[in-house]
Parts: sequence; structure tokens; C-alpha cells
Amino acid sequence: MEPLFLLVLAGLTSLGAYLVGTHWLGLSRRDLRIAVGKMLECAGMTLLFFIINLGGGVIAILAVRTLTGTFLTLYLLNDVALLGLSLLQALALEWWRGFSAPRHGRRSVHVCSPREGTRRR
Amino acid sequence: MSWTTISRALGGAGYALFFAAAFTPLPNLLAGWLVSPARLEQADAIVVLSAGIEPDGMLSDASLRRTVHGITLARQGLAPLLVLSGSGRDGGPTEAAVRAALAHDLGLPRERILTETGAHTTREEAARLSMALRPRGIRRILLVTGALHTARARLVFERAGFTVFPAPVEDWSHWVAYPEGRLELMRGILAEVFGTVYYRAAGYL
Repeated sequence: MEPLFLLVLAGLTSLGAYLVGTHWLGLSRRDLRIAVGKMLECAGMTLLFFIINLGGGVIAILAVRTLTGTFLTLYLLNDVALLGLSLLQALALEWWRGFSAPRHGRRSVHVCSPREGTRRR
Repeated sequence: MSWTTISRALGGAGYALFFAAAFTPLPNLLAGWLVSPARLEQADAIVVLSAGIEPDGMLSDASLRRTVHGITLARQGLAPLLVLSGSGRDGGPTEAAVRAALAHDLGLPRERILTETGAHTTREEAARLSMALRPRGIRRILLVTGALHTARARLVFERAGFTVFPAPVEDWSHWVAYPEGRLELMRGILAEVFGTVYYRAAGYL
């Protein structure tokens, strides 16, 4: 039970958020599916940035070692902060794509507003 | 396949890996497969690989565990010589020197302690120790390093000409069950897998 405590906790608070969202904030269940899809896209972008950062880091470290003779450890990349940075990059890119899309006429963007509910623009 | 589909698939895979790593025994099972069993036999030397030191001279947890394990094996009489590896950082004391001081404080005579301070990677440790130890006739070594690191380190040292008896440090618990611990374990596993792939690609194994 103890290993699953956090999972159960997050499950309960997620259920609470769902109930608050649908009953008090007037959020649409259909838009929840769209939001989960966007969440997966963001997670995928985070993973992609993480892989690019890792690959770039390896190349940079090996280049520094080879070209300057200075030793840099590859374990510099073994840091959870890299995942956090990748997440920030992914969030920035996803929001940028989202806000840029209507001007290029590719697709509409759902904007969540607490007072208006979900509106399409 | 659209970019949206690809990124959602990647995201789904990422979340699946996160949940599997944090909330299932998957990391424990993987670690169990990767860990080499200990083979404690009489040897010419006990070689303790480096694991990091802070610039103020504080050994990392992993380094301290390895050092204590090596000292324990030396005090059990499994080898006449204890070889401690480890360089320094940012002008601070070397890991090998701090370890040697600890070994002496715990009762090991200085003449049984040898230090190696110039290596930065496992491969460099194997190469430099091969140059230092083989002229002394030292061939059989008890290799002390982290449990997950042992398999790769053993191959590197065997390639350097040593007969290696693994003496891994139990630096993770088979029973780690809380999510943060399992994620740390998975991170260690992935780092070691990456290291092995890199060493194979570079021709070091």
C-alpha cells in the first residue's frame, strides 16, 4: 500500500479537480479529452527535447575533451535538472505553436477561460 | 503520421515509463539482472574505483560505501594491497588521498595502501592501474565498485589484463519500494546502460 500512496493521493485530487471543473467551473468533458491530448503532446515534446539535450550534451562534452584536452565528465548530463529544463522548453514551444497557429490559418486554438468556459478562437 | 500523433505517442511512452519506473518493481527486476554476483577470493590487490568527491573534501555517499567495503575486505586479509582511486575537483583534495587517510584511520598500515589520482573515467582507471600494478606482478584483483557499475568495470579491467573478482558494493536495496527510490534506481540503470553502449561504440569493451 505505501508505494501506491502517492498514486492514490494524486488520483483522489485529480478526481476532485474533475468534479470542481465540471460542476463549478462549467468545463466541458469533451474539452478534457482535448486537454489530455495536449498534455501527451507536451510530454512527448519534453521527451524529445530531453533526447536532443542529451545528444547535444554528449557531442559537446566529447568535443571539449578532444579539442581542448580539458576533461568534462559525461555524468554532468546525469542530472534531473535536465529533465526540468526540457519540460520548460517543451512548454514554451507548445504555447508558441498554439498561439501562432490561428494567424497561419492552420487550426483553431482552445483557450480556457474560468469565466467564459471554453471558447474557440 | 502527423507530428501530433508522434508527439502524443512519445508522451504516452514517457508517461508509461514514468509510472512503470515509479510504481512497479520494474527497476528492482532490471537491477537484479544487471548486478554481478560477488566473487570474494584471495587476490593480489583490492582495487576500489572512484565515485566522486566534493571540492571541500567530502566523499560522496557512493565513494564512502566503496571505500569502507574495500577496507573491510583488506582487513579480512583477502589481499595484501588496497588500491584507492580518485582524482580531485576544483583544487580540492583528491578522492584517493581522502580515502587513504580514512583507511589509515581505520587501522590499515600505510604500506598496504596505494593511491591513483590521475584517472577520470573507468577506462582511464584500468589503463593507469595496469601500468602501475602489472610491473609489480599484480594480476588478480578484487574489484570494488557500485553494484550496477560492476559488469562494465569488470570487462574494462579484464581487457587491461587483470583477472577480476567482482566485489560489488550493495549501494541500492533490493527492497526499495518508494517511488523516489525506484526512480533513482531507474536513473542509475539507464546511466549504466548508456555507459555500456558508449563504451561498446567507442571500442573500449
